[in-house]
Amino acid sequence: MPELLTPATVYILAAILLPFVPKGIFRQLVPVLVPFAGVAVFWTLQSGTFSSFNLMGLHIGLMRIDDLSRIFGLIFSIAACLAAIYAWHVRDTIQQVAGLLYAGSAIGAVFAADLITLFVFWEGTAIASVFLIWARRTEGAYATGMRYLIVQIGSGVILMAGVVLLYRETGTVAFSQMELGSLATWMIFIAFGIKCAFPLLHNWLQDAYPAATVTGTVILSAFTTKLAVYALARGFPGTEILIYIGAVMTLFPIFYAVIENDLRRVLAYSLNNQLGFMVVGVGIGTPLALNGTAAHAFCHILYKALLFMSVGAVLFRTGTAKGSELGGLYKTMPWTMAFCVVGAASISAFPLFSGFISKSLILSASADEGHFIVWLILLFASAGVFHHSGIKIPYFAFFAHDSGKRPKEAPRHMLIAMGVTAALCIGIGVYPAPLYELLPYDVGYEPYTTSHVVTQLQLLFFSALAFTVLMKTRVYPPELRSTNLDSDWIYRRMLPAMVAGLRHVITGTWRFASRVTTTRVDRFIATIYRAHGPQGPLARTWPTGSMVLWMAVLLGMTLVLAYI
Amino acid sequence: MTDANALLLALSIPTVTMFLIAMSGSRPNIRDGISIVASICTFAVVLRLLESVMAGARPSVTLVEVMPGLTINFSIEPLGMLFATVASGLWIVTAIYSIGYMRGAQEKKQTRFYICFALAIASALAIAFSGNLFTLFIFYEVLTISTYPLVAHKETPEARAGARVYLGILMTTSILFLLVAVIWTWNLAGTMEFRAGGILEGNIDPAYVPFLLALFAFGIGKAALMPFHRWLPAAMVAPTPVSALLHAVAVVKAGVFTMLKVGTYIFGVGFLSKTGASEWLVWVAGASILIASIIALTKDDLKARLAYSTVSQLSYITLGVALANQMGVIGGSMHIAMHAMGKITLFMCAGAIYVAAHKTKVSELDGLGPKMPVTFICFTIASLSIIGLPPFGGAWSKWYLLLAAANAGQVVMIVVLMLSSLLNVAYLLAIPGRAFFAPPKKQVAHSLGAAASPSDGIEEAPLFCLVPICLTAIGCIVLFFAVGGLYEYLLSIPILPEAAP
Amino acid sequence: MTGSHSPRAEDPARFPWLSRHLLWTSDPSKVNRLVWALVILCAGLTLADFFYHKHSHFEIEQVPGFYGFYGFIMCAALVIAAKGLRVLLKRDEDYYAPYTVESEEHPEADLGRENIDA
Repeated sequence: MPELLTPATVYILAAILLPFVPKGIFRQLVPVLVPFAGVAVFWTLQSGTFSSFNLMGLHIGLMRIDDLSRIFGLIFSIAACLAAIYAWHVRDTIQQVAGLLYAGSAIGAVFAADLITLFVFWEGTAIASVFLIWARRTEGAYATGMRYLIVQIGSGVILMAGVVLLYRETGTVAFSQMELGSLATWMIFIAFGIKCAFPLLHNWLQDAYPAATVTGTVILSAFTTKLAVYALARGFPGTEILIYIGAVMTLFPIFYAVIENDLRRVLAYSLNNQLGFMVVGVGIGTPLALNGTAAHAFCHILYKALLFMSVGAVLFRTGTAKGSELGGLYKTMPWTMAFCVVGAASISAFPLFSGFISKSLILSASADEGHFIVWLILLFASAGVFHHSGIKIPYFAFFAHDSGKRPKEAPRHMLIAMGVTAALCIGIGVYPAPLYELLPYDVGYEPYTTSHVVTQLQLLFFSALAFTVLMKTRVYPPELRSTNLDSDWIYRRMLPAMVAGLRHVITGTWRFASRVTTTRVDRFIATIYRAHGPQGPLARTWPTGSMVLWMAVLLGMTLVLAYI
Repeated sequence: MTDANALLLALSIPTVTMFLIAMSGSRPNIRDGISIVASICTFAVVLRLLESVMAGARPSVTLVEVMPGLTINFSIEPLGMLFATVASGLWIVTAIYSIGYMRGAQEKKQTRFYICFALAIASALAIAFSGNLFTLFIFYEVLTISTYPLVAHKETPEARAGARVYLGILMTTSILFLLVAVIWTWNLAGTMEFRAGGILEGNIDPAYVPFLLALFAFGIGKAALMPFHRWLPAAMVAPTPVSALLHAVAVVKAGVFTMLKVGTYIFGVGFLSKTGASEWLVWVAGASILIASIIALTKDDLKARLAYSTVSQLSYITLGVALANQMGVIGGSMHIAMHAMGKITLFMCAGAIYVAAHKTKVSELDGLGPKMPVTFICFTIASLSIIGLPPFGGAWSKWYLLLAAANAGQVVMIVVLMLSSLLNVAYLLAIPGRAFFAPPKKQVAHSLGAAASPSDGIEEAPLFCLVPICLTAIGCIVLFFAVGGLYEYLLSIPILPEAAP
Repeated sequence: MTGSHSPRAEDPARFPWLSRHLLWTSDPSKVNRLVWALVILCAGLTLADFFYHKHSHFEIEQVPGFYGFYGFIMCAALVIAAKGLRVLLKRDEDYYAPYTVESEEHPEADLGRENIDA
């Protein structure tokens, strides 16, 4: 019997037992404490593969500990704990169970040493997370959840098919570095790409995250996409195409973010943009770049959660997260505002905030490898992210035009969750050494050089200046209640329209054909009846005549059916 | 007790039970008790047989020799043992469930119901153990006829019409095609015995193999291969336990089991793959999988949706045979167990919903989840298993079918299986999804406020319904983790080395 | 929950401590001063480029103020381009209704609305 004590089993056990814990403080404590137990399981272990066994000739390894899985396992645990504190007020058992299963699956996938285990937890994240969207319990959220689920499970089945093909090719299911080339690896790559929100495969993210509950979005923002980044870093480091995919990913969401009204969707777009940085890092594949990806994922989970928490708190108190309906909230929600600004500064990579010490690894790595165009794009994307996440979110929510809303400050548990996250963001920014210590490769890097600090400040302050000028000259597009078309238009509008059209044509043809056939068959039967009926000329030889006829019919049918 | 005696005992318990039930018809408690005890005894005997078969025994009994070479013979091999275990094991569950359902829904003529039920189980076991095509054919027909009164149980015009379609299609296909195929086979091979590696190789012109296969594939109407699938949705007029056991387990599985048996022991997997005779069947099965799923998507009636889902899932198993390699047979056989466990849960949930809330349409289920949490959680688990997601049994059979498709070089079938998963998500998970999370439909303005307001309490089906549902739902999870043993067991299905593709 | 309303008689003294210290952001003349401060800061940062050895990978980085100007121009271009995209992509909020959350209110059960009377 293999040792089954892995972080994932801790979460899953907790999720199964949770409904039986009496409601009240104990039940609320479970999701907060489980991540500590999860970390305790793997933190002390040396690198290596644990809980491995043989299943039907497949080598299953439930827990592979190395530097890469350890840092992702740690940050997922931290995110799970913070999100649980943030969700202290939630009494909905379904959401609590789903949250635990989701976090457990994500952590289980990170430690998977083989592709089967990865697949199991990969689908686990898909199934568990949809409940956080459905838990909103509206018609729109149900439909959105269904779309999300189909995309996520689609990613899973593509992964499974890829694993099957790979297993057939290589005879192993070990999860290690792969080369793009065969159908198998391409399928696995696409499966990772869907969860990682590659361009054109991205829209589930912007569609689903704003549809979740207040707390659900915070949990969602941490796991699925970063799991995909981890999987890419594990399976496809140094794959050149990822550099360009990542560059496009950093680029196009920022345009959408500028004109998007729902602030949670703005954050979803900027999440996509940040993923682009990590994907570029994986694509470059040098130790520095992979360190950058890991570090950026670590910081990103924290500051993105912080931003979603603060916008969530606004939504929690005002009932809306739309820029057009908000403004002036600093007057009554100053702490939420302050934490939001910390998150904004971190995502914008201000010196002394966490984004600065992680994003610069990826930029330096791209410059080291001489990818000039990519480097320019990343620089632009950095400026852009400051523009829409760094300025737009705090500005339209808390300042700008006074909406007249005077909501109460966020509840205390939310402030605590935001406060801890904000402290981590600043702490990492000021003193990055412990984080660098955790990174998978041993690479010396000093983020705080004069050139770096000055150039970064230039970039940011000039971007802020551009924002100010555009606001003053009223060029800046106002926040409007609207829907912006994105690639989801293809499957929400174009394909259904095509199917409806096709159906129309088919039913029309079918009706016509059946009308024609019916009349023909009627006439045919009438003719036969005239010949073979009691009064017909062939009635005299009835027994033999009809026997032959029926035999012919039977044989004909057999023949036809055999060919169908 | 020798293995041969155990075999006969396993067949005779349900047969004797019929008479016991008939005699105790006036005392419902005793009658229902008998059927539970009988199901447990049958299962125990089957397990005893399973043990021997796993140890390598292949018991065989010849009952009657009708004429030289034409015998009623029962012999056990691993595939049949699997089917027998599944059918008799789930009989216990259904026997318990039937009590809750039939009483809860206040069905009439319950004695007749239990008699036919026992007969159906007896014939399913006989099919599982049959040692030649002749025996199999006879009990195949007995199964069809014994289930007719079950389908028509309600005796409404609708039920009679459904039962007519049921009987019509199954009898017609079996006589027109299956009987012809059986006779043709006998003619060619001079025997009808199921033999490892098949009996046809060398006895038939390879050019005719696809035709013979077609006669079998369409003749075995119980496998519901399109276009002969209509009987399955038509049979949904039956009471839910019938749909659950017979149309998720015994009857339809008898169909696909026959398909597997014919593929492995009459044609021989190696022979099929060598001649490429089953290539066309791959495409028909693939089309059947997708078309049935798409139809299921459009069905609002819960049981009709499940019926079309069954049509689609049965074609998985047919596909496994048609792919003609060892992984296909393993995947297909595994799917018998996995799908049975999942689908029976789904049908029992549908019945529980009917008993507790009197709802039969998917669109009426909005907001029902919180009232029937156990039922809908089990429904979700079973749906996930049918879709083929971990950690539920269905994931493994899908894995082996995918592997079989990869081995056969059928990339298109890999895509078909993937698409089918997504379609399954859309039509199966939508049901618990809506039940738990869709807001209850807006009240019509003029409806009376008090009467229309939903009560918050839990209103589950009777415990007799609920316990079996939970058992099979847990079974779906157990099968995922216990698959190693099942796989080892299925490896013992004799398959002669296949020709290189 | 009202969209626009006349400035009611609010007592800034009852705002939380941190808010009271930020009330100047509502005063246009003080915001203008902030803008000027930003301009000066930007100018200072550009000048700073002349006073240290810039460690760089690409030649273009050696242009004084490159990062600043690049950021400014690209951001302006970003906003103008996005504004142009809006012409192409903007639809009504209930374009996808009812299969979208866009046109719905967030359900109250998930919220904890509370106002304070300042």
